Amino acid sequence: MPIRLKAGDWLIFLLGLGMVIWLFTALWSNEPAGKVRIRSGDKIYATLSLDQQRTLEVPGALGISRIVIYNGQVRFEQSPCRNQYCVHQGWLHKAGQVAVCLPNHVSLELLGNKSYDSLNY
Amino acid sequence: MTPLTIESVADDHRIAKLAALAITLHLAEAVLPSPLPGVKPGIANIVTLYALYRYGFGTAVWVSLLRVFAVSLLFGNFLSPTFVLSLTGALLSLGVLWLTQNLSSRFFSCVSVSILAAFAHIAGQLLIVWLWLIPHSGILYLVPVFSAAALLFGTLNGLITAKLLATR
Amino acid sequence: MRLVRYTLWALLFCLAGCSREPLYQSQSYVFGTLVDISIYGETDARAQQVAGHIQQEFQRLHDNLHAWKPGGELYHLNTAFAAGQSTTVSPEVANILQQATLVSQRSDGLFNPAIGGLIGLWGFQRDEFTPVSPDPKQITALVKANPSMTDLVIAGPTVSSRNPAVKLDLGGYAKGYALDLAADYLRQQKIKNALINIGGNIIAIGQHGSHPWHVGIQHPRHAGAMATLDLPDGWAIGTSGDYQRYFELNGKRYCHIIDPRTGFPAEGVQAVTVLIPPQEHAGALSDADSKPLFISGSEHWREAAQKLGLQYAMLIDKNGAIQLTPGMRQRIRLETSDAH
Repeated sequence: MPIRLKAGDWLIFLLGLGMVIWLFTALWSNEPAGKVRIRSGDKIYATLSLDQQRTLEVPGALGISRIVIYNGQVRFEQSPCRNQYCVHQGWLHKAGQVAVCLPNHVSLELLGNKSYDSLNY
Repeated sequence: MTPLTIESVADDHRIAKLAALAITLHLAEAVLPSPLPGVKPGIANIVTLYALYRYGFGTAVWVSLLRVFAVSLLFGNFLSPTFVLSLTGALLSLGVLWLTQNLSSRFFSCVSVSILAAFAHIAGQLLIVWLWLIPHSGILYLVPVFSAAALLFGTLNGLITAKLLATR
Repeated sequence: MRLVRYTLWALLFCLAGCSREPLYQSQSYVFGTLVDISIYGETDARAQQVAGHIQQEFQRLHDNLHAWKPGGELYHLNTAFAAGQSTTVSPEVANILQQATLVSQRSDGLFNPAIGGLIGLWGFQRDEFTPVSPDPKQITALVKANPSMTDLVIAGPTVSSRNPAVKLDLGGYAKGYALDLAADYLRQQKIKNALINIGGNIIAIGQHGSHPWHVGIQHPRHAGAMATLDLPDGWAIGTSGDYQRYFELNGKRYCHIIDPRTGFPAEGVQAVTVLIPPQEHAGALSDADSKPLFISGSEHWREAAQKLGLQYAMLIDKNGAIQLTPGMRQRIRLETSDAH
């Protein structure tokens, strides 16, 4: 005996299909995972993918700056400077963004297709 | 002292038979390799779905949970993360079955229910993985794949169940 | 067999292509700030050599022109001035003082490197800042004393000050001067293409390969760039902002740019950017000229710009609204779109 598919079935199926397609476009967009370049003094301390969860203790001129990578973003969580400008920069997520702890000589830079060679500030 | 006797009822027999069938299907499927861990046709769910339509929600619950527990005992991973995943999937899809059992059968056949239950199943499992097992943003890449599998196999299982119900 | 051959050729081409990235980049902490040197089209060894020399020069300048740490000529000058005495300086410093005086005069005294006393009073003559509440009487006294670059008497190597209140702080000039120095050195060394960034102040030499150097301008309140523009050969860019050196007290922000007329940090502006076309002292001007505009505020900055002959300037007021000179509007590409 043939099976009778009802109107609601088609609806559910199409909704499901739409959802699957949307999920693919939303989560599989071909952006390569960003990278962060961490510098201490004049040396590159590490270049890491943002596609991980990690906390690093980066030694600098004053002490250790704690850097956290999470959810495709990176930030200074803790730093031995007094003014904490670096921590206040918050999460970096776009290529070209920079956060610096000047007193501790530690900097974070998001690599990727940044549209400029150097940043004026 | 009168000896303790457990009287089984026709219902129990039925549930036992269905559960055994579900377990067998699950085991048979487990033998086959899957392209990606977690992506399985889930043909044992056909039994649950059939039971829902034929014998009611209560029976479906028994069949589903008995299968989860029995399989985990048989495989020796009772209370392991695998078991938790399995149970979560089962509970969430049972929840959806409960919610949809009153869906007008004029518009929705068991295919719809199967698809919805399949999505609920993988959603529950992905949530457990994300919150507890592997809180890694890489999980996001698996979501579309699992959803596609849920759609595909939910539909297929639903169609098979519908066929079985129609030929009864 | 043919496949193998083609593959080998392809591999060879790839290797040739990525054998040397012609862009050299170094980052270092000199001059009390972040220094970025990019050199294009030189071997790594050569680039490293010149960059290293520049970094050393910067450190020397930094120590020599330091406003509050002893050891340099500037500190020595200030000590002499306070005691009402004269002293001798190197030709370099004498030249710097003369140039700075010219800029100060052109800006009607809004750019005033002689107000080190006020800067110190507000706690900005330190490496890190804590909120301070200076005594209003002291502020008034310093403003009244009116220390100015025109109080300096420069006779050859001998410098004295007619006004004991003069305390030199070249924080708004030294980086720009260093840019010029570095640019001259690089040209002398026949380096054709380079980009030097000292604490955000940038000067360009040549190009980045086949296209001009491209710089971003930091958003005063966010981590990324709010605009970008080309920086052709010889051009310099400088920004004064309230977001690099400041403290907050009772919910109010006090930045390091002091208005010499009031003795208080300038208000109402988040940032001013000036773009200087190629000329002698382009670097120094890109540093110094942003201050008078910042102090003039969102109402009067355009007049100040005209007085200084600045064609390319931008101001971001305290609400984040962007104002541009016509010339700047032509050259800049804004990432957002609320320009006036």
